[in-house]
Amino acid sequence: MASTDNGSNDIQNTFAIPKKEILTKEDLDKFSTSPAFEEIIGFIRDLSSSVEGQKLGDADDTSPAIEKLSALLKSLSKCTDDILPFETKSRFGNPSFRKWYDTVKENIPTWLDGLVESDAIPEVSKYLVDSFGSRQRIDYGTGHELNFLAFLLCLKKLNVVDKSNYKSLVLKIFFGYIEVMRGLQTTYWLEPAGSHGVWGLDDFHFLPFLFGAAQLKGHKFFRPKSIHNKEILEEYSKDYMYFNSVHFVCNQKTESLRWHSPMLDDISGAKTWEKVNNGLIKMYQAEVLGKLPIMQHFIFGSLILFKGSMPKALADSEDGGHGDDREHEHVYAFGQEFPQCCGIKIPSGIAAASASGQGSISSRPRPLPFD
Amino acid sequence: MDIDNGSSSQINISINHLDEWIAQLQECKQLSEENVKQICAKAKEVLSQESNVQPVRSPVTVCGDIHGQFHDLVELFKIGGNSPDTNYLFMGDYVDRGYYSVETVSLLVVMKLRYPDRITILRGNHESRQITQVYGFYDECLRKYGNAEVWKHFTDLFDYLPLTALIENRIFCLHGGLSPSIDTLDHIRALDRVQEVPHEGPMCDLLWSDPDDRCGWGISPRGAGYTFGQDISTSFNHTNGLDLIARAHQLVMEGYNWSHEKKAVTIFSAPNYCYRCGNQAAIMEIDENMKYTFLQFDPAPRRGEPHVTRRTPDYFL
Repeated sequence: MASTDNGSNDIQNTFAIPKKEILTKEDLDKFSTSPAFEEIIGFIRDLSSSVEGQKLGDADDTSPAIEKLSALLKSLSKCTDDILPFETKSRFGNPSFRKWYDTVKENIPTWLDGLVESDAIPEVSKYLVDSFGSRQRIDYGTGHELNFLAFLLCLKKLNVVDKSNYKSLVLKIFFGYIEVMRGLQTTYWLEPAGSHGVWGLDDFHFLPFLFGAAQLKGHKFFRPKSIHNKEILEEYSKDYMYFNSVHFVCNQKTESLRWHSPMLDDISGAKTWEKVNNGLIKMYQAEVLGKLPIMQHFIFGSLILFKGSMPKALADSEDGGHGDDREHEHVYAFGQEFPQCCGIKIPSGIAAASASGQGSISSRPRPLPFD
Repeated sequence: MDIDNGSSSQINISINHLDEWIAQLQECKQLSEENVKQICAKAKEVLSQESNVQPVRSPVTVCGDIHGQFHDLVELFKIGGNSPDTNYLFMGDYVDRGYYSVETVSLLVVMKLRYPDRITILRGNHESRQITQVYGFYDECLRKYGNAEVWKHFTDLFDYLPLTALIENRIFCLHGGLSPSIDTLDHIRALDRVQEVPHEGPMCDLLWSDPDDRCGWGISPRGAGYTFGQDISTSFNHTNGLDLIARAHQLVMEGYNWSHEKKAVTIFSAPNYCYRCGNQAAIMEIDENMKYTFLQFDPAPRRGEPHVTRRTPDYFL
């Protein structure tokens, strides 16, 4: 499904619904040296640089794009207020999230109208919709967060925003998105997707720590070890995303930070915020952009362009947000760096499901299952 | 069943050593890399003698997921009684997510070596190379030993864990649930289990499936295994002369949860899972007359701070 715009500018003029392109370790290796990879990590560096020494309240940009995006975030929060969770004991999170997701998905084209040229809306909105978590599994992880970054990158590539907006894009829009996500996490009990438990950076997020460390670079008093000071967390959470994120985790969990978040504790031993910020950028490349269980779900279109070896049927069958259309869910279970990979592709999800139980076919590559 | 070639000669570890290691682990102090290697080699020998449907006598206490919550495991032994005074059956998921997967799985394996007839340890879906690389155990081994050798020893051992157990021919215990490819316990006995958990098929289903309110087989939202309805449980129990399926694998707020009109029960033994779920844990005591009692417990208080010293990861140096 592609359409052509009027050819009035020099960017892509054929948009495409983004789809998956990464299935195997080889695809991932190819991606890690691709222009798309450079573009994503370069965008993160630029956004990060734009907020050095800046507080959350310092975003004073009133450009139409930032205003429109702020309004969009407000609409998202309103949906969370309007759609109540219902009583359940299910470990898969609260099914009311699906109602939220469907409502938002339906409205996003309207909310993006006037911000993004209409031909680009199907491509751009796919990233935005995918940034709120999995409709089917009712879970959320750094891969979903990456989709929001991709959404912002699309806006940049469409010239909706430029470098002069970056500071507000991070402090107002990205942070606003994090607040929307916290609303979803606490209202519908989104499960952490692929969480490393206590050994991960955070159950859900990565980038608020990365941008947050940039905000604190060169700060006169605050050091990485300041996260152990409760008063600092309480007083300065409104100014700095890093403190805000640590504070949020500490309020969500019982026991001390060293128990529930040894990685954050370890990082607090770094000498400067510069080291934390640089370390998180390196870590993001290795642990998010470099991990198959995350990147196998990432989607590419005309704006963020990459071609892997993903068979067409598999790429197209992934959840377009409809939990009932999930034959592909039986096409699963290939882990990263799993030693017995022979790299055989599968024709389609449907074929794989019908073949199940007919002998050993366990060595072909498939996405990793949940939990 | 094959025994690993590298350890074809019998490995001898003295009872004194085992007792010493149990005492060390009970204080939550990890074993040396060399000792882990030894216990894993010996445990392979012991486990390779066990059946895919390991027979277990009552009385026995049945436990669900632990997930590295070492202090809660200590609490569990306080509530349920010490080994070997109480017989235990653990239904998998010893590792991942919690702080002390290394100490937890080490303790259970050494206890298995010390009292092989009094403790049974089954395989959960987290006892797998690929899952532990995503959910924390790999990170923890690297963090605590500085290399992945210990992770390798344990994950190689996991291939030998029995898949299911059968208490007095009446209660069928396993981590996940039933499989559309399995009708009888003999089907399970015939599986070749010594391998990484496959991505699909009967062995995968036993470790991944969940009971569901809907009848028949359903596609699991987890991406592996199936959901199975009351009709499936009823028919499986009838065919195999069983009273009950006891399984783990799902967080349940009271620590245990009946389903399928008491044809199946879920037991979860990690209280306040991941330091945030606020759930109780439970274990199921089965006495010599096959009467069962559920014992619920809350998280053990954490005294002070963890004794793992802070170490700045390489990314931040």
